[in-house]
Amino acid sequence: MLTAILRYHSARAAVIVLGLIVALALFGPVLAPFDPLEQDTSAILQGPSGTHWLGTDNVGRDVFSRLLAGSTVSVLSALQCVVVGFLLGVIPGFLSVYLGRSVEWFTLRLMDALITLPFLVFAVAMTALLGNGLAQAMFAVGILIAPAFYRVTRAAALTVANSQYVEAAELMGADTSWIIRRHAVRKVLPAVGVTFAAMTGASLVIVSSLTFLGIGVVPPDPTWGGLLASGLQYLYQVPFGPVVPALLIVATVWALNAIADALRDATGRPARRAPRKQEVTSDVH
Amino acid sequence: MSTDTLDATSAPDTTRPRRPVLTVSDLRIALDDGTELVRGVDFSLAPGEALGIVGESGSGKSLTCRAILGILPGGIDVTAGSIDFDGIELTDLGRKQWRPLRGTRIAAVFQDPASYLNPSIRVGEQLAEALRSTLGLSRADAKRRGLELFRKMGLIDADTVYRQYPHELSGGMLQRVLIAIAVSAEPELLIADEATTALDVTVQAEVLDLLEDLREELGLALVLVSHDLAVVAQVCDSVIVMRDGAVVESGRADDLLTAPRHEYTRQLVDNHREYGLESFIGKEAARV
Repeated sequence: MLTAILRYHSARAAVIVLGLIVALALFGPVLAPFDPLEQDTSAILQGPSGTHWLGTDNVGRDVFSRLLAGSTVSVLSALQCVVVGFLLGVIPGFLSVYLGRSVEWFTLRLMDALITLPFLVFAVAMTALLGNGLAQAMFAVGILIAPAFYRVTRAAALTVANSQYVEAAELMGADTSWIIRRHAVRKVLPAVGVTFAAMTGASLVIVSSLTFLGIGVVPPDPTWGGLLASGLQYLYQVPFGPVVPALLIVATVWALNAIADALRDATGRPARRAPRKQEVTSDVH
Repeated sequence: MSTDTLDATSAPDTTRPRRPVLTVSDLRIALDDGTELVRGVDFSLAPGEALGIVGESGSGKSLTCRAILGILPGGIDVTAGSIDFDGIELTDLGRKQWRPLRGTRIAAVFQDPASYLNPSIRVGEQLAEALRSTLGLSRADAKRRGLELFRKMGLIDADTVYRQYPHELSGGMLQRVLIAIAVSAEPELLIADEATTALDVTVQAEVLDLLEDLREELGLALVLVSHDLAVVAQVCDSVIVMRDGAVVESGRADDLLTAPRHEYTRQLVDNHREYGLESFIGKEAARV
């Protein structure tokens, strides 16, 4: 699958960007030149310099070190959220096709209900209920993105379940678990892969938004969203402040979306493109 | 076709009277709202025998087959009658009880071979999977047996075909692959529902020959459904003619096709005379 998407230029760039970000998330805390929590009151709100590459914040902490340390939390919570959504979406998605009418009805109504809930408000409510932690907040968001996985899985599984080759397999004595493993999964997997990549991008934005708002993270701990927020607070003193955290978020989300697009194109469902202007006008003249 | 048999012991023994492998009596199939779609079909089939079911679209031939296979579409059920397969009443079976019969004792091939194979799995693997699940063969044994079956089905370059995907093969080749899968576990009954309809005439004749050979070798009882009298005439011992869900005529294939008694059968035979190739050649010859 990786070789298939690497034919696309944008995907190649995206894989490199994503690789760097994963490296940041894995090794960021080790690479950080300063302790991300160490305050240095002699150097407050400095711009970029040789010692502090990205400057310092309002209590003199090294922004570069904080950014590196924050990568782990940000990326891991986005992944946690997607994994929760994946499990809560894909499994009921399969079950709704194979376990009969009542399961189908129940899961469909449940997913419809979840779609109506707005991400941020639900996450805020859940942290109020379960305690202010990023894990709680992202678990809540994970529940809310489950419908995306559910629908994609169900749609693909349905077409397989009604296909004649599954009927043929049944006639050769295959049972349901064989049909799911051998026929349904390979049809569902590409679609779910696309959703997984796109949803990781989306949840990273949600993590960043939540931490930007100060939800789910205990104050001294750094995150990308939190750094963006504190950067904005002192925009007047250090105009450069929010740029790097914002760029990191944007780059990651772009990379994930580009990979999702390439994955979709590579697995044979090219995006429907709007007709080109020339074609439209040529009809008029 | 090679001469070695898949299983020599199951070759039909014509000297002894054979117990029928399949007996369908007064089979009635209806929609949930009570509309009767098949109204009393009777026939029985001995091992190694071939029965043709002829009739126009909507005459109930395919529903009869699906009832025998236990795969009637939703909302359609067997309402009366019985289907006896070697002492087992098929109309009563649940999903679990069907499983040991399917593939190993009853198998089927259908009209559109391309849609009966998973497009994303190599055809050889699909055959090997069937062999591994029905006969419990090991991976290596399944491949060896699979290649042997492909050769037996007249797929000349079996090794290449084994590694190809369904879209790389022609309709005739795909149908051979499906027949190979269907007979892989040497079933007693094979149902061929319009299995040659989508193929062009020469390929159709080859596939019919193949079915006939398999029938002789394996002692396979064959139910051949077709709307084409010529297909049935080539392969079948006996024929039933269906129209509007009922059997209008049945009997030995030779008798029925040469001296049809029912008006509808006569019409079918006449149509064939009128539009078949022989009549055109005859006319040309007469004109010259």
